[in-house]
Amino acid sequence: MDLTYTAAEEDFRSELRSWLAANIPAEWRRPGFWESLSDEESFGLRRDWERDKALAGFAGIQWPTRFGGRGGTPGMKAIYDAEMVLADAPRTVNPLGLTFLAPTVMAIGTDAQREEIIGPMLRNEVIWCQGFSEPGAGSDLAALTTRGVRDGDDFVVNGQKVWTTNAVHGDKIFTMVRTTPGSRKHRGISMLLIDMHQPGVDARPLKQMSGASEFGEVFFDDARVPATDVLGDVDDGWRTAMLLLSFERGASGTSQYTEFRRQYDEIVGVAKKLGRDTDPVIRGKLARVLTELECLRLHSMHVLTQTEQGQDLGFEASMTKLQWSETFQDLWEVYDDVLGEHATFEDLGDLDLKPLNAQAMWSRSVTIWGGSSQVQRNVTAERVLGLPR
Amino acid sequence: MFFALTDDQREFGSAVATYLAARFDLAAVRTYFEAPSSDDAGALDGLWKAAGEQGWLAVTVPEEHDGLGLGLIEAQVIARALGAGVAPGPWRGSVLAVEAIRIAGSPEQQARWLPRLATGDAVGAVSTGGPVEYGALADVVVTAEGLLTGFTATSVGSYDRTTRLATLEGGTVEPLPGDTSSLEARATVLVAADLVGIAREALTRTVSYDREREQFGVPVGSFQAIKHALADLHVGVTMAEHAALYAAHAVDAGLADADLAVSVAKAKASDVALQSTAAMIQYHGGIGYTWEHEAHFFYKRAKRLAGQYGTADAHRERIAALTI
Repeated sequence: MDLTYTAAEEDFRSELRSWLAANIPAEWRRPGFWESLSDEESFGLRRDWERDKALAGFAGIQWPTRFGGRGGTPGMKAIYDAEMVLADAPRTVNPLGLTFLAPTVMAIGTDAQREEIIGPMLRNEVIWCQGFSEPGAGSDLAALTTRGVRDGDDFVVNGQKVWTTNAVHGDKIFTMVRTTPGSRKHRGISMLLIDMHQPGVDARPLKQMSGASEFGEVFFDDARVPATDVLGDVDDGWRTAMLLLSFERGASGTSQYTEFRRQYDEIVGVAKKLGRDTDPVIRGKLARVLTELECLRLHSMHVLTQTEQGQDLGFEASMTKLQWSETFQDLWEVYDDVLGEHATFEDLGDLDLKPLNAQAMWSRSVTIWGGSSQVQRNVTAERVLGLPR
Repeated sequence: MFFALTDDQREFGSAVATYLAARFDLAAVRTYFEAPSSDDAGALDGLWKAAGEQGWLAVTVPEEHDGLGLGLIEAQVIARALGAGVAPGPWRGSVLAVEAIRIAGSPEQQARWLPRLATGDAVGAVSTGGPVEYGALADVVVTAEGLLTGFTATSVGSYDRTTRLATLEGGTVEPLPGDTSSLEARATVLVAADLVGIAREALTRTVSYDREREQFGVPVGSFQAIKHALADLHVGVTMAEHAALYAAHAVDAGLADADLAVSVAKAKASDVALQSTAAMIQYHGGIGYTWEHEAHFFYKRAKRLAGQYGTADAHRERIAALTI
């Protein structure tokens, strides 16, 4: 058992911590600051800040240096994720590109694609969206019907994608498109890298139950994409997508624990303010969720160990997703229990509840996106436990 | 970062499991389970001899006293394997007596007891006030006052017949000069580990049965209602495994969050063992409710241990006190 990081990893932590301390304006930490900005202003601020961070060498932590990464260890990535939370650093504006597309391009992209995609993404010159889900293809991704027809050197794309994160801010979208007419299920699909700044692409925001519009829908009406902008082989998009989704594995439980544990303390603060911290039922509920949070922390150390040992986590990733997402949702249900008769209120004396309420709303989404809890349970039952399909 | 068992630690657990499968399987557990207390004499002789010979008892005994000099992590590996086998015997009491004497005993007490506890020539037990596990077999019992010997034991009924209990009377107490305050945490970790072993084995056996058992022309394990319940249990049991491992390390290494870690481990292990053993009954259907089936060994052992060294609710209150 060794729960420490190496000296090099701790050095990295200090270096990162100093940079974050010097480069996050104090007013960004003021409660309500981000909420006071328009979506456009907030996105722009984060986009520029993240670019500066990348130029300072704090991006692509685990990526090879030849792709502009830092060439760091899995431990450094875990440290990076946790320190970003501790410093109240803004969230990335390019999550789909950085988490999914970049490692896929490094693995199977052409040299030209590596050149064109990775650097500009790191500097936030290009914001990437993911075009997977459709109105008729959610958990059943292979039911997708967006089609691409070859026309000279291009594919001409028609159809609709939905739940697209950053749809209205996106520059390009990696899109699952049926390129063989009449093909069924996961055959005949290609992953096309489509420029969103063209007349045939229309991105519209969707308003979420929280009131925010982090995602949207994207309509393709004779959108054109050069046939060279296929990632992986034509009609082999399913394989590309499976590779791409595998990069979610090892998702950072360490930073999630760090973030959720702070939220736990905030909820405890609300309980104290309401004098409910002595209520044995509330204490039991808080302790139950704290138990699961501690398990999440330990599980993330287990995942990091596996990663460092070079072991593929495979379908165990479904367990990670279930543990963090269900625990996060439970945490915010306890918040409602703590509020009791004050539930839904926007403030409590001088305490602004709106940011907490936003998290409580957000907690409803996490058990749906990225593979719903029901899908994760199927995967765990069939692929890990070996129960029959 | 290395949060896992080493190969050696893993092999230690496998060796216990392999021995139980070959020499003290569920048929042997059943014989013991069904025997009246008056027939206990000799029932565990083979198992106890193995525990002595294979180092299960010597695990935390320092090498200078003929032990293996290992720690609570290795001990929890053994505890898990014994829980998985619903194995009877005073192993936990003996190891905890070793821990009390190792930590708080005088050099003379250590020299007198540790080598004999390591081989199994002497049997140890722990009293927390109530009935004592294997009090009737014990040569020395650790109490709040010190080391108790020369007592008389009276057996106490319990429907968990994988373990025998007794109340103790009389005897003489010899104080332990050192500080035994970490003994409760050590005991709690080993009970949590036993529960984790029970939970994992109950789940594994249920999955295995539901892959084969057919109704409506298909294996019942193909039904989503069962799949989802078993998937959730797999997540829960895995988390409890992490929690027991971490708690063992936290106590041995004296980490700042050891108290929290122990309560997390016991709360999680108790809950998940009760859920897993109840699921074992439910997802075997009618056969799972019979005396003939082994599900009740797991269920009953989980029921008793869930209440030992603090229920899940009691540990949640400790967690609340530490974090609110």
